[in-house]
Amino acid sequence: MLSTLIWAPVLGATVIAFLPQFSNSERARQAALAIAIFTLGWTVFLITQFDISNAGLQLQETLPWVEPLGLTYRLGVDGLSLPLVVMNSFLVVIAIYSSDPKINRPRLYYALFLLLGSAVAGAFLAQNLLLFFLFYELELIPLYLLIAIWGGARRGYAATKFLIYTATSGILILAAFFGLTLLTGVSTFDYAALQSQALPLGTQIILLVTLLVGFGIKIPLVPLHTWLPDAHVEASTPTSVLLAGMLLKLGTYGLLRFGLGLFPEAWRVLAPWLAAIAVVNVLYGSFVAIAQTDMKKIVAYSSVGHMGFVILASAAATPLSILAAVGQMVSHGLISALLFLLVGVVYSKTGTRDVTVLRGLLNPERGLPLIGSLMIAGVMASGGIPGMVGFVAEFVVYRSSFSVFPVQTLLCVLGTGLTAVYFLNLVNRAFFGRLPENLANLPRVYWRDRLPSVVMTVLIIFLGLQPSWLYRWSEGTSAALGRLTPSPAISHMAPLPLIETVAVNPPEIELVSTPAFENFQHSALSLE
Amino acid sequence: MVSLTQQPSTHPLADMIHCLESGGALLPDSPDNVLEVVGVLKSYGVVLDAYSRNLIYIAEQQFLVLFPAFKYFDGEVSLKKLLRHWWHDRINYEYAEYCMKGMLWHGGGGLDDYLDSAEFSRRTEAAIQAKVGGTPMQLLHKLFSNFLPEQVRQLAYYSGLGQFWRVMSDMFIDLSDLYDQGEVQTIADVVAHIRDALVEAAALPITYAVTIKGQTYEIIPKSVGLTFLADTALPYVEAVFFRSFPFFGTVSYNAQAHQISEKPGDFSYGALFADPLPIGSAGIPPTLLMQDMRHYLPGYLHDFYMQGLRGEDDLRVKICISFQKSMFCVTTATVLGLMPHPLDTTDPVQRQENRTHLENWMDRLLTSRLADVQSE
Repeated sequence: MLSTLIWAPVLGATVIAFLPQFSNSERARQAALAIAIFTLGWTVFLITQFDISNAGLQLQETLPWVEPLGLTYRLGVDGLSLPLVVMNSFLVVIAIYSSDPKINRPRLYYALFLLLGSAVAGAFLAQNLLLFFLFYELELIPLYLLIAIWGGARRGYAATKFLIYTATSGILILAAFFGLTLLTGVSTFDYAALQSQALPLGTQIILLVTLLVGFGIKIPLVPLHTWLPDAHVEASTPTSVLLAGMLLKLGTYGLLRFGLGLFPEAWRVLAPWLAAIAVVNVLYGSFVAIAQTDMKKIVAYSSVGHMGFVILASAAATPLSILAAVGQMVSHGLISALLFLLVGVVYSKTGTRDVTVLRGLLNPERGLPLIGSLMIAGVMASGGIPGMVGFVAEFVVYRSSFSVFPVQTLLCVLGTGLTAVYFLNLVNRAFFGRLPENLANLPRVYWRDRLPSVVMTVLIIFLGLQPSWLYRWSEGTSAALGRLTPSPAISHMAPLPLIETVAVNPPEIELVSTPAFENFQHSALSLE
Repeated sequence: MVSLTQQPSTHPLADMIHCLESGGALLPDSPDNVLEVVGVLKSYGVVLDAYSRNLIYIAEQQFLVLFPAFKYFDGEVSLKKLLRHWWHDRINYEYAEYCMKGMLWHGGGGLDDYLDSAEFSRRTEAAIQAKVGGTPMQLLHKLFSNFLPEQVRQLAYYSGLGQFWRVMSDMFIDLSDLYDQGEVQTIADVVAHIRDALVEAAALPITYAVTIKGQTYEIIPKSVGLTFLADTALPYVEAVFFRSFPFFGTVSYNAQAHQISEKPGDFSYGALFADPLPIGSAGIPPTLLMQDMRHYLPGYLHDFYMQGLRGEDDLRVKICISFQKSMFCVTTATVLGLMPHPLDTTDPVQRQENRTHLENWMDRLLTSRLADVQSE
């Protein structure tokens, strides 16, 4: 069943790429959209088959592939990957829908998009380390081409930089995986088999650091982030949507799945450092975003900042904080995708993304009033205004991380304040005031330009009001992952005196057997 | 010795002055401009007809009604009409009242003077007594003796503006008919039509009477001598075209910081100065007018607007731009109609007086959107 998510888009991509009738860009778009919608529908069907009470892998598929190498085609989904798989299918639909209907080389373009979605889904589903690596690398090729062919003026530079950085990321990850099998002496790359192996702590730390740097490039962690703003600025809007929405999540997913999942002891050692890096990400991303004038760069650096929240929650590694990390991944995926969509519309209508040039775009008749209103909703969601998914996600991150890393969490909270600074600055400069004469004759905005953003906004608000729809899938898996790093060790490891914090709020760490979100609600109630 | 050839004007708007002196208008002549101006004046004529009827209805039939809940219904209250009103499928009579209040506030002309006269007080008192005598409102009148007379002053402006717009509405519909017949082809033709109609109606009497319990009370009798041009048209142009109120919607003025002149005479926020771009923002009164006019656009003008980049999306802004052009035509007609001497006079003294007259008008248009309509 899971294979459909990988092979249906591949099959579709092949058909679109090789049949000449898809040279018509509108026809190619419709075909790609139909395949993406089918995949999304299949994903929804899988949700109905998913058992939320089961913390382990479900809907597994196993086929032998290259046995001597330890490579098996083993797929599975759990609470950690399910929300990301769903979001991937959804964002592929959004990205294809929002593609330029008159795009050049439509057969290649849509085929690459479908391949990209397929590879990302494969990476989330793979339960064999080598298989994961294959999908992780496979996803680079379509993304590289999407930036290099349909990107902006400096696309060559940005695409090459992206390729060099992320290929390095792949090499490091592969090195860590090889190291793991070599040192444990296991002949397979299967995740479940490797999870039960034991290694000395020092070796674990070395392997984990390698993985951290590898996935850190993808997330991206400061100072490994410099490829991201360039890639975003040069990528077309649909590519940016997938890049920010899904590709970055591969990094944080990989960290949780393979870093925390395979090296929990070493994770405990490195967690305080990771939390410190999270703070650097949040503050650095936010401050640099404040200094930007290109709307796309502002959103790109805000991604650097907001991915810091995922790192913070992952570092804390309690059942609730793992849940928080998954929630923040989905939240950031939706919000950043929305913001990139909106920036894309602004750019396509005004020809600029420079906030020193744009002004008064909320003008009701000659501006982009609905796009502007959605932008305000988007920045409010990103800034953590209650009622939207950003608030829920960030609140759970803070609530769960504070007991483990209080100072780091408080510093990250500062980042939320800074989000308001750079995004309000953006909205104030570009959308308020009088529309200047040079922008008084913008082309018409059609409903097809608005629809993807409207859908995203509705989803962001819906999940903000009904967060259990976001969290219920992951509670079991988060609790299981959180159990890998017992609380006493963390309090021992943490650089700050946490005894009081733990004493004040014991249920959060100790009652790991109950679903984490309920646990969180109990602890929140007990504080009142 | 007097020079027979007049020296060029040194006024900042000298080009416009020379243009007017040579028979031109404040709006350049072009087929598009003629189409826009005539088309928009056609729909304006239809809307003014409704405004005018309603203003006169309120003045005459809603006289001192304390809570005039159905004042926009012209006496026909039905559930269907009420539902349409709530659905907002209606003419925005609020705009007419806004203009009326502009005139009331800025005053000027014989109407303003008459409303402060003893005769007005005497006549008003008689009407008030007839209306409120024997009702609880009599107590109100005794306690606040200025309240009801002030209401009547306002009703007099309702009536005055209604009568002014009655003439203007017919004038604009006639213009449209002439355009349809091919008799109006240039901006000069448009200006000439308006100027002639204004001159023709100049001496029309402005009167106001109400009927209470079968008896007619004349508030403004014909004998007061108020006339169309001097006592309603010119105050209207002053209040609505030039001065208006300091609120554009997107600009917040700070009166305490002296961003607004203390002298209403210095106000320049009127139709000739209004920025069409913020149309549709909250609280911009011309939006209501544009909204009303969009229902009655002639087909050719609608097609012309559809050729723009935004199609229907910025219709009200386009209407406002055309409307402003048409108002510069009306202003041209007014300026030319009030020229002290014929335009083609050869008498140097008369030409100099004409020049001074034009320069005085141009002084007031310095900060208007005159330059913008030259290029749009």
